[in-house]
Amino acid sequence: MPEFARKIRIPAIVVLLIAATVSMGQSDDGFGPTSRSATRESEGEFHFVRLAYSSNRFASRGGRRQAWQTDWPDAEQHFLRGVNRLTTVKAAENGRVLIPLDADIFDYPWIYAVEVGHWYLNHQEATRMRDYLLRGGFLMVDDFHGTWEWTSFKASMDKVFPDRPIVDIPQDDEAFHVLYDLDHRIQIPSRMFIYSGQTWERDGVTPHWRGIYDDDGRLMVAINFNMDIGDAWEHADWPDYPENMTALAYRFGINYVIYAMTH
Amino acid sequence: MFEFFFKYSLQDYARSDLVFTAEWPAWLLLLIATIAVAGLSAVLWRHRGGATTRQLLAVWTLQLLMLALVSVLLLQPALKTEQLKPGENTVALVVDNSGSMAYGERLRRFDVALESLATAIPSDSTGLTAQHYTISDVAEPVETFTGAEPVGTSTSIADSLIDIIDSARSQSLAAVILASDGIDTAGGISANQLADVAAFGVPVHTIGVGRDRIPEDLELAQLVAPVKALPGSTVTARVAIRHDREGEARVRVYDGDELLATEAVQLPANTTTTTAKVNLDLRDAGYHRLQFSVNGVDAEPELRNNVRSTLVKVEEQQFRVLYFEGEPRWEYKFMRRAMDPDGDIRLVSLLRVSPNKFYRQGLESAEQLEAGFPATRDELFAYDALIIGSVEAATLSDEQQQIIGDFVSERGGSLLMLAGPNGLGNGGWGQSAIADLLPSRLPPSSVDSFVRTKAAVQLTPQGADTEMLRLAATVEENRAVWASLPEVADYQATGNMKPAAMTLLNVVTETGSQPLLITQPYGRGHVYVLASGGTWRWQMSSPLEDQSHETFWRQFMRALVASAPPGISLSANGSQGATEVQLRAEFRDDAFRPVDGIRVSAVVSHEDGDTYTLDLLPSQDDAAVHVADAPLGETGTWYVEAIAERDGEAIHVARTSVYSESGQAEYFNIRRNSALLRRLSDATGGQYFEPGDLGALPDLLRYSNAGITEQILRPVWDAPALFLLLFIVKFGEWLLRRRWRTI
Repeated sequence: MPEFARKIRIPAIVVLLIAATVSMGQSDDGFGPTSRSATRESEGEFHFVRLAYSSNRFASRGGRRQAWQTDWPDAEQHFLRGVNRLTTVKAAENGRVLIPLDADIFDYPWIYAVEVGHWYLNHQEATRMRDYLLRGGFLMVDDFHGTWEWTSFKASMDKVFPDRPIVDIPQDDEAFHVLYDLDHRIQIPSRMFIYSGQTWERDGVTPHWRGIYDDDGRLMVAINFNMDIGDAWEHADWPDYPENMTALAYRFGINYVIYAMTH
Repeated sequence: MFEFFFKYSLQDYARSDLVFTAEWPAWLLLLIATIAVAGLSAVLWRHRGGATTRQLLAVWTLQLLMLALVSVLLLQPALKTEQLKPGENTVALVVDNSGSMAYGERLRRFDVALESLATAIPSDSTGLTAQHYTISDVAEPVETFTGAEPVGTSTSIADSLIDIIDSARSQSLAAVILASDGIDTAGGISANQLADVAAFGVPVHTIGVGRDRIPEDLELAQLVAPVKALPGSTVTARVAIRHDREGEARVRVYDGDELLATEAVQLPANTTTTTAKVNLDLRDAGYHRLQFSVNGVDAEPELRNNVRSTLVKVEEQQFRVLYFEGEPRWEYKFMRRAMDPDGDIRLVSLLRVSPNKFYRQGLESAEQLEAGFPATRDELFAYDALIIGSVEAATLSDEQQQIIGDFVSERGGSLLMLAGPNGLGNGGWGQSAIADLLPSRLPPSSVDSFVRTKAAVQLTPQGADTEMLRLAATVEENRAVWASLPEVADYQATGNMKPAAMTLLNVVTETGSQPLLITQPYGRGHVYVLASGGTWRWQMSSPLEDQSHETFWRQFMRALVASAPPGISLSANGSQGATEVQLRAEFRDDAFRPVDGIRVSAVVSHEDGDTYTLDLLPSQDDAAVHVADAPLGETGTWYVEAIAERDGEAIHVARTSVYSESGQAEYFNIRRNSALLRRLSDATGGQYFEPGDLGALPDLLRYSNAGITEQILRPVWDAPALFLLLFIVKFGEWLLRRRWRTI
């Protein structure tokens, strides 16, 4: 294989995969009612937007699905029902999927990214995400574990905010109190915990609630490291998944949503 | 001509009653008339000859008419007239000797006035005794006008006239003749003052000197600027330029030596006063004496009226705005983000985050709003403005809704209603206790009037003229910024506008344009409806450096709180250049009810140290208000401190300051105000005259209703018109008879 072809092989595959998955999101082909062409303006004030990012070269999911699709669409569908039932937030019933460079991203000031240990943001995407967050957008990242995935996540996150530190969210931060007082936090595992009895993955034994703040002390990025809140939402209706963990996952999610809508 | 035939003028007839002076008894007159008619008829019938009935009737009528005329002559008609008794009455000759009377071209106005008064009453024909007065700020009797000069520093025409008429009544005052340019620096003549002058029954004849139009002069006629401002805020001053020709003027504003702003103003030909706005950025706390000037034109007679000064106190002050919201939403978040850096306005919010929990932000204490939305006047009246978002009216009790009404009408607070799924009509506010306050009749709650569709916003002409919607320095830039703003995320129908409502913004929907931001005053306060909960898109969809969203909310909030009066305040108001101001101190408690049982005094201090005290008296209109007139004798900054005492103990203090241009008033409004003089004459039964046309004045004086009068009878039986009529009748009869060949 020529040198040039070898150089562009991986990016080309990534682009094709992204294009394919986004087009799946745009079509009504069995992936649920998350079509971006839906009449989004008439559904609700809050929209659960899932970030369709490019995966890095080490992502190996197998099958059709990309890393960003993890738990989709059950996680948000379950979660949004909880939001509408437990709060006064008027949430659209179904989630949406947007790529970082979609101009419509600015119409949705709350966005969720899963499996960010496998994400890859190029310079243009990182700039877009920085702009989005500094204008007032909010990013919740979830479901990544261990040293290697942290390093991978941080590589792209550092492109977004090269000069802003990632810090532990203090106990007294409003993100933990805006609706629910989340003083007693436990590690929320993936469903594999049911089989293995192990709440952690890889070397991510200790859960961390971390974040990135803006210049006025407002949380812009909520980083749920060494836990899998999305799985707890997705399997909320699965009898074997512990109810207390699902409940706590709902509470984290709701607090992030309300925090994002108030700060 | 009239006078030749009827002996006297038409005015003489108009002022007189026609009477018959022959003292014949009525029965005799009746008897003679009957015999004459009967005799005439009999003689005519006997000598009818071949005349037809029609010819007989014509001759009979003419002879009867001649008999009637002779009878009138025998009754000796005369005019009965009331006129001033010579030698018994006085007339007040009044000359305006204020500074503005020194203006003129060939002759000064003052000299023209003296010349006119000298010829006003030929002493030989009227028999009136003249009393001489000069008026400026007060009236002064003088022996003669010799030596008088136009040096008065202000003019109060009505008060001066009242003094003159009141003091001269004992001397049988028949009339007042006032020679003036009509410039009244006391603010003109009010309807009450006019009624007071007219109540004396003495006609005031006026002679207007000077010119109504002075094309070679530009004048900064009025300056209106706020007396207080927040540090770093932009304030708008309004200037009015008086001009009598079209052109362009340039207004400059100096803060000490620093040029703050310049504004080019077009002066149209079809108006004499042009107003313009000047925006000023005041950064530092403290007193700022701002000097406004308009450039002069060639050969301008008075440059002192091109400059005015005012004092603006820039100080830290924190206002409170309460935002009551029924659901978490982006508008809430981004409004808070826009307002958080604003240290002058504290946005306190009460947000329903779940059916059972309210989330509070911007608190001053942990107890604030702990029990939810304020339930007492004291609690709500602590805020300057109230915002109600997407929340049902039924969330609040009837009492709480009533308090909101009082908050606007009595407290003078501002109310802003926002759109939302549960806001405005959807929330049942159109049927709530505060429906009367709102600037529109909201749609009923049974109709979903909220539309979650993006739509563009348009600035209306009224909105373009409103400071709260100013996002750029100039009018053109402001329009461009508004035109470039991203669409709002949603909008809501406001219903039909009420008569006093004003639309500041429109939203362009698929079906056309509809109101987006409307307002109306209510009681002491103002009510706004912003029919969108989606201005947050201006933040998220604009470049990061764009500050339109933040500026909009900060300007809007400032407008909301700026119109809300504080409970304790002191103001000093007066016409520019006047030598005194009216102090108005207002003392209200936390519930904005008048503070009872207080005595209010004021300490007035000039910047050079001169100080005096005076008492303020309770106003008849408002129990919370005390007023007094405070003389400001010297130009410069005056500091005023009003102290409310109860039982000898000071319980409240209010402060203000004012810059006085004492003694400058006569340099402004230098154009003759003939309208004022005409109004004065009309109201008192007098007449307005131009200086060169005083011929009718002596006659007017002679027949004045005021003073001591006498009755005179003037015979008119010998008026040529009567004899001419006799001749015509008899000649007509002769002509007819000759034609009918009956002679």
